[in-house]
Amino acid sequence: MTDRRALVARLAPAVLVLLLAAAWLLPETGAVRLASADPSAADGWADALDALPDAPTLLVGFDPDIGTYPEVRATVRVALADLLNRDGRLAFVSLTPEGRALLVSELARLGRGEANAARLLDLGYLPGAEAALVSIARRPSVPSEADGELARRVASEGIDAVDAILVVGGNDLGPRSWVEQVRPRVGEMPILAIAPTVLLPELLPYVGSGQLAALLGTPRDGAAYREAAELGPLERLREAGEPGAAAVLIGLLVAVLVVGQAWGRRLLTQLRETSRDGRDAP
Amino acid sequence: MNGFFGTETADLVATWVAAVVTIVVLGGLLGERRLFGWTQHLLAGLATGFVALLAIHEVILPRLVSPLLADGGIGRAELWIGLALVAATAGAPWLPRLAAAVPVSIAIGALAAFALGGAVIGTLIPQLLASVAVDGGSPVDTVSGVAAAGITGLVLLGFLHGVPRGRPLQAAASAGRWLLVAGIGGWLGYLLLSRLLLLLDRIGFLLGDWIGIGR
Repeated sequence: MTDRRALVARLAPAVLVLLLAAAWLLPETGAVRLASADPSAADGWADALDALPDAPTLLVGFDPDIGTYPEVRATVRVALADLLNRDGRLAFVSLTPEGRALLVSELARLGRGEANAARLLDLGYLPGAEAALVSIARRPSVPSEADGELARRVASEGIDAVDAILVVGGNDLGPRSWVEQVRPRVGEMPILAIAPTVLLPELLPYVGSGQLAALLGTPRDGAAYREAAELGPLERLREAGEPGAAAVLIGLLVAVLVVGQAWGRRLLTQLRETSRDGRDAP
Repeated sequence: MNGFFGTETADLVATWVAAVVTIVVLGGLLGERRLFGWTQHLLAGLATGFVALLAIHEVILPRLVSPLLADGGIGRAELWIGLALVAATAGAPWLPRLAAAVPVSIAIGALAAFALGGAVIGTLIPQLLASVAVDGGSPVDTVSGVAAAGITGLVLLGFLHGVPRGRPLQAAASAGRWLLVAGIGGWLGYLLLSRLLLLLDRIGFLLGDWIGIGR
């Protein structure tokens, strides 16, 4: 590699970061939209929420992955605010340390946003992976220091106090584990899921079979839902400064160019070798 | 922007620490490996500390020690058995192999039983039922079901390595391997999008939360 090429290769990541930063600062013009033109997933999600009873109680399995949480964070925050705006009661549980760390941060944010604390219940971290999920399906464990009407109801009625389950996925114990371990034990209780795009291939079949009542599994579906969601007085819980569509588009174009350049170089090398072999042949 | 920090002094300090560490990690892209390595150690140390705190405050104290102290441990046989299994695991190097194998066997057996049972009851059977063509289903559903079954079969054939087979089977296995590669390619595309959004989130954090500029 020549010195010039080496310098370019070394500076390329910094140029990319600067380019993305410039794109991030661009104002939203509406010329490029992140929200999906096909609103079926967002509509399905809204329909699933509308189908819940008044003032529903939801068990929220909160186990996103730190590496993919930024992708779903804005959608998760709008979904929680939407449920609270529908007079929902939310009981949170985490089955992974990573999920617990993120849950503590989100509960702190809800506290700063003055969400009604009486409607939130922190069931804490539950170790045991699949075995923990089975125990939740029987009777969610309520911490002894938990207080309030919601805590008492979950402690006395167990899983029967819950109208639906919302799973925020990304980690090993995501929507698939809830479908496999909890759904067969709780009957027809709807399970809704928010997950990063990497989990889409394993989760779409569950939506098709009806095992997941609704799924927001791509940034575009999440953006479509966020656009349509009406949060009323809880609008303050919406995330500010989401990544702009222009920045995402530029990043993806750069990725396509890098992959295309690698393929092109390989193809060119093969063509050269083939033509050289042709010339060298007797 | 990311909303994890408030406006108090501790939050401002946290924002600055997060910003500096983010810049150091991004500096790894430019070849600054020493500081980048230091941040990896920092992350590993913080994660270990957090897991230890979690284990003590949310598992050992409330779920083991408190129940045992509450009534002198009488009537909590399951906790005593669990404690004995943990002790056997910790003392494995000094115990006979047969005794040391008991807790590990129980852990692996339970994990496999839950995972396998869940996969069969929660995934395999419902997905097979959902794939079966039923009266009243649309032709599109039938075609996609048949296509899914065909692709699944071809990919499974792709795993037949070193088994004697004829030309049709060989072609089918080859097609299955290409379908597998295409699937992995699609999945990598999803992963790329996730990582791009992570990078944009960090850039947004630096510009919005730290410097205070943005849309």
